[in-house]
Amino acid sequence: MPGRPEARALDLDKLYAARLYAARVRPYLATALFALHVVESRRVPTMAVDRHWRCYVAPAFVDRTPVEELAGVWVHEVSHLLRDHHGRSDRVARERGLTGLGDRLRMNIAADCEINDDVFGDGLVRPEGAIRPETLGLPPGELMEDYLGRFGLGPQTQDLAWLDCGSGADGLEREWDLGPAGAHGLSAQERDAMRFRVAQGITGRPGNSPKGWQRWAEEVFHPPQPWRELLGAAVRSAASGPGVGEDYTYGRPSRRSAGVPGAVLPSLRRRPPRVSVVIDTSGSVSDTELGSALHEVAEISRAVGGRRDLVTVLPCDTAAHLVHRLCRAEGIPLLGGGGTDLRAGFARALRTRPRPDVMVVLTDGQTRWPDTRPPCRTVVGLFPRQHGSYDEDDPGYVPDAPPAWARVVSIG
Amino acid sequence: MLAHTTSQLDVAAALLALLRDTTTEPRPDTQLEALTLAVAADLPVLLWGEPGIGKTAALTQLASSLDLPLTTVVASVHEPSDFSGLPIVGDDPAEQGVPMAPPDWAVRLVRAGRGLLFLDELSTAAPAVQAALLRLVLERRIGALQLPPGVRIVAAANPRASAADGWELSPPLANRFVHLQWAHDHEVVVRGLGGTWPRATLPRLDPSRLPEAVAFARRAVCGLLSARPGLVHRLPDGEARRGGPWPSPRSWETTLCLIAFATAAGASREVLSMLVRGTVGDGPGLELLAALDRMDLPDPEVLLADPEGAVLPERGDLRQAALDAVVAAVGQRPEKSRWDAAWALLARALETGAPDLLVVPATTLATLRREDWDVPASIERLAGAVSLSRRADRAANRTGAGAGAGR
Repeated sequence: MPGRPEARALDLDKLYAARLYAARVRPYLATALFALHVVESRRVPTMAVDRHWRCYVAPAFVDRTPVEELAGVWVHEVSHLLRDHHGRSDRVARERGLTGLGDRLRMNIAADCEINDDVFGDGLVRPEGAIRPETLGLPPGELMEDYLGRFGLGPQTQDLAWLDCGSGADGLEREWDLGPAGAHGLSAQERDAMRFRVAQGITGRPGNSPKGWQRWAEEVFHPPQPWRELLGAAVRSAASGPGVGEDYTYGRPSRRSAGVPGAVLPSLRRRPPRVSVVIDTSGSVSDTELGSALHEVAEISRAVGGRRDLVTVLPCDTAAHLVHRLCRAEGIPLLGGGGTDLRAGFARALRTRPRPDVMVVLTDGQTRWPDTRPPCRTVVGLFPRQHGSYDEDDPGYVPDAPPAWARVVSIG
Repeated sequence: MLAHTTSQLDVAAALLALLRDTTTEPRPDTQLEALTLAVAADLPVLLWGEPGIGKTAALTQLASSLDLPLTTVVASVHEPSDFSGLPIVGDDPAEQGVPMAPPDWAVRLVRAGRGLLFLDELSTAAPAVQAALLRLVLERRIGALQLPPGVRIVAAANPRASAADGWELSPPLANRFVHLQWAHDHEVVVRGLGGTWPRATLPRLDPSRLPEAVAFARRAVCGLLSARPGLVHRLPDGEARRGGPWPSPRSWETTLCLIAFATAAGASREVLSMLVRGTVGDGPGLELLAALDRMDLPDPEVLLADPEGAVLPERGDLRQAALDAVVAAVGQRPEKSRWDAAWALLARALETGAPDLLVVPATTLATLRREDWDVPASIERLAGAVSLSRRADRAANRTGAGAGAGR
């Protein structure tokens, strides 16, 4: 602020009154708020955090901001730390090769969007100039990583160039940072413990916190893994179990046996796994979802030593249709639409000779399941349906969960 | 022609010598410390890490510091019979049975009586080889041979996502391992390639601290589990958590052992965190660490006995927890002298730290007052905290959010 005397000391009372206010309206964040260590700094534009849970505060900013707005800034800054925006920024920078200073500014803006869309309200005032996704023409409720690729620095973000939440928000060290050796920093283990305690407080009393925080608390130590990896691991593990794939057998002596008289050596035999993919083609599953999942299964089965001609595809709604070999054509006609009964698909796949070693079922779960465990390993790729299905004839209909004998991977 | 070849080789040798001429510098290494402690405690360790990030180098350093000969067995190039023993058909199998002959490295290891056995590339071995190896890790048997107690075993596996054939531990097996995530430190690699590799100072057990370490470990684990019985046994749920650590009486026993070792070695909380979370999983592990933090808080009775000389934690949230505990202690045995001491303590906390975290303890303490108790003089010194609270109230009035609004 030009013209304002900069030499004034930091008004700690005002700052702490704001923190107390923030802790009262957001009790589940109180522990985290109190753990922040305040450092007075004339080089930060407003308030900023570093990854060691220090909060750098500009005295002039505290002077010109009302207590209730300062409380909002407190919650905003502590959210950066709880949501590990610095660590996630570093990961994103590595993965996508983002090295510029502008990229880090975009990360800070994207992180602000993730926080600001649901952190204010209910007694907490949105600080002046806080960016929301709407400011950039983006939908609310998404993550920093999603926002990051969807806006550039341009006329639209020109006003935001002053924005700086510190290295705790975007991972880039600032010149004012005290660094890991500075005073009153939290170690990595203490930071994890802090996030865990706050998350526990939220999951323990879910009624008191908004949806965004609840989702965070559920996922903070178990972020949802990419479904491709999970599906891959499940199919790989199913397709390389005993009896399938590459393994040793005493059924035939090893060629090494000649060199070791008297010893019986097993030999390595290869039996590529037969994979049968049953696809739910009822109206509720979109072609894009199916296409990407099917492609994934084909890739995985090839990676485990399967041959394309051993992968069969079976579209199924209320009846099982023709069995297709994957090698024959890229475009398998996905017949059907309407209701689903996957039991027909299971039966048809198991009637195939020779019998499949692995069955992969791609469905949205709106189906009946076989009563008994099929005689091969089963992986279910489940397309999630947020709203559940609604059957006009039977409004109380709740689809069965996939059976316990199948390994279930949520897709998408 | 011959002379020319020799001189070229000499030059090459000189170049190689220059390349190998590196120095070391001391540097704390959390993952290596954790590995050392787990190996010292004779627990089977499983290192999870991408290929080529220096697991073998770490094992070499560990072996030299523990003064154990290192035997590396790359599982993927062996056959199951190399671990379960080769069946040797004798003259009369029906009479004498078929003995399972162990491989030479196992014989050498048993003869030496001590050593570090490193089973590398577990994840790329065929399923039958993995099955044979697990017997080796868990029962310490190779064919007819029993490994002596002086042999320590460490295994390494690639993460599930990058493993070609989907190595995955079943829950009972995963429960027996201490899982350590092995990652490379960017800075260490760059400095090492520049010629300076780190030299970790490995933890040493302090003989004088052994009884204290065992008592501490028992108090920590039993304290947590008696307050949270649900944490004793919890099978992993969900596809994402398969093959990882989970809590069971067995893994809690392992945890107890690891806490004792870490305490006796004076290891940092970081090291302990890696070990505990690698044994019972993230959630229960973090709860245990939080319980340890609470055990570190000063005893309320000690604080009440000498409020003026009290040393309170620096970190705000811990300080508030300590003060809350003091107020709770006064509430349990309300006496005028204790009530006064608590006020003095709050006044002291105001002098040495942020005032906003005193508001809740002070409010609670005020409600404990009996009619015949006079307000102590030290309460004057808390006026700052009271005005702070009023200021927050005024802000709440402006925004229409009453103090203590639910969210």
